[in-house]
Amino acid sequence: MNLITKIHKVPFWSWFWFILGVLYFVLPLYATLVFSLQMERDTLSFKAYESAFADPEFLKTFTYSIGLAIMTIIASIALVVPTAYWIRLRLPEARRIVEFITLMPFVVPAIILVFGLIRIYSAPLNIPFTSITLIPPLTNFKVGTNILIIAGYIVLGLPYMYRSVDTGMRTVDVRTLTEAAQSMGANWGTIVVKVILPNVRTALLSGALLTFAIVVGEVILASFLGVPAFGPYLFLLGQHRAYEPAALSFTSFLLTWAAMGIIQLITGGQGQTTGAH
Amino acid sequence: MAYLELNNISKIFGKTTAVSNFNLKVDRGELVSFLGPSGCGKTTTLRMVAGFENPTEGKIIIDGKDVVNKAPNQRDVGMVFQAYALFPNMTVANNIGFGLKIAKKSPEEIKKRVQEMLDLIHMSDFGIRYPWQLSGGQQQRVALARALAMSPQVLLLDEPLSALDAKIRVSLRAEIRSIQQKLGITAIYVTHDQEEALSISDRIVVMYDGRTEQIGTPFQIYNFPETAFVASFIGTLNSFNAEVTDLKNSILSIGGLHLTTAENLEGRKVGDKVMIAIRPERINFSSEQKKANLFDCSIENITFLGSIVRIQVKVGDLRLFMDTFNNPFLELPKIGSTAEITCSREAVIILNQEMI
Repeated sequence: MNLITKIHKVPFWSWFWFILGVLYFVLPLYATLVFSLQMERDTLSFKAYESAFADPEFLKTFTYSIGLAIMTIIASIALVVPTAYWIRLRLPEARRIVEFITLMPFVVPAIILVFGLIRIYSAPLNIPFTSITLIPPLTNFKVGTNILIIAGYIVLGLPYMYRSVDTGMRTVDVRTLTEAAQSMGANWGTIVVKVILPNVRTALLSGALLTFAIVVGEVILASFLGVPAFGPYLFLLGQHRAYEPAALSFTSFLLTWAAMGIIQLITGGQGQTTGAH
Repeated sequence: MAYLELNNISKIFGKTTAVSNFNLKVDRGELVSFLGPSGCGKTTTLRMVAGFENPTEGKIIIDGKDVVNKAPNQRDVGMVFQAYALFPNMTVANNIGFGLKIAKKSPEEIKKRVQEMLDLIHMSDFGIRYPWQLSGGQQQRVALARALAMSPQVLLLDEPLSALDAKIRVSLRAEIRSIQQKLGITAIYVTHDQEEALSISDRIVVMYDGRTEQIGTPFQIYNFPETAFVASFIGTLNSFNAEVTDLKNSILSIGGLHLTTAENLEGRKVGDKVMIAIRPERINFSSEQKKANLFDCSIENITFLGSIVRIQVKVGDLRLFMDTFNNPFLELPKIGSTAEITCSREAVIILNQEMI
């Protein structure tokens, strides 16, 4: 059966919804791209891109946000992988509670989260009934603020990271793999490093990518905690300029796609667990 | 002294007793199957031997040492899982060599042993493939090789053939048995498939509801079931409630019919209720010779099952199945016709318990 015959066999409504979906995603992107190229009158040029990249603030905020994103991803993996693994292995009854907790960022807005963080961590945390300071006011110094914002980003990225990792673990049946490794003499460290992590690599990369996208574009936490991140920079730029924010937005899309491409390259052919027949 | 001993093993999950007072002694090099329906406790018992579950009570002794308090990675048992459990990120060779690497064997030793195992499962050239490039049967052979590579004290197989199609199951079970005998390894094999258990085992433990119903050789289990459950679970069975009517001549009655048994009726008295069973293949159409149990019957149904033909007959108010070997020249009676059937005294078995 050739391609044209195959295309003709697809029902009309399938095509309709497919084209509608493509238009929904592609049109705004196309409009942003065209707009970002129209900085000069009556001609298409990369002037807006040149202008945006030439601003030293762009590089500074962008690298800062990338740094935050990397730290958030590392901390998220350290938190989520052992949690999801242990729940699959030993505490399946806790899955509903943990899933509920990970979904909280969809219910509690980021503004509530940031005010909560500021309210609690702008004053020193003392050991009850003593004047001994356990945690100094984190908002008062740079490292403390970075810790706070990374903690906030971990929370915002939880729904994506937890679900990615949990789905990855379900796909490879971590329980049986763990038992198989145990029966061959492996300890917990070896099992996690040699068996579990390599087999949830795709899921980890998916979760990491989503976390990266959230962190790089995030505005509210970064603004209220007063850190020089890319989100607030883009927001401010949008208030004063027209074409540069469009250029930077389109660049963000390209970066995300590049990251997805890299994931495909790294994970290509892996993760198949069914047998050939 | 037995090589593997399970002494008074019990396992209770919350309010559910999964295994109750389980006792078994397995000799070195013996293959013992745990056979029973789903939920009978066979896999739980196997998992306790592997160390994945802790018994609520009892001892598990391997080669004279109690291993109950040892972690799974310290027990020196190899396990083959129903779902293969090959590591998807590793090649066949790396899967087989995984345990040897953990044991810090030298690369040369690992390479040699992996090749030995690949040769053993007739997959010498498959070392560089990944599990997803293999069929289900091939994956399970690799899983077997992986479990054997460490030369474990005991090999545990948890329904290893359940996920495979019928033809592969038959060939692979023969291969598993052949490898087990060749290596002389002590093995426990969990299955719910009676044919599998009968064909592969030195002994079978039939389990039901967390208890041992009977332990014996396949021959004993099939031909001399001790309980109603074993009789009904293994093979097809005609079973009836009967009454002892004549102790001297060992005669039992079912409704108006009288059956003679070769079983010892000592300790019973006339009027006692007993459960009796007759295997379908022990019932034949009558020849000229007068037999102990001879009845007129009508043919109700005939089912062709390949190597055998199953005939349903009615004797008085009783319905019975009888099996006869298929052959191309077999003359089968017509449905609705009448015939005479017979069975020997030895074919009438008295069961210990009430029918389930």
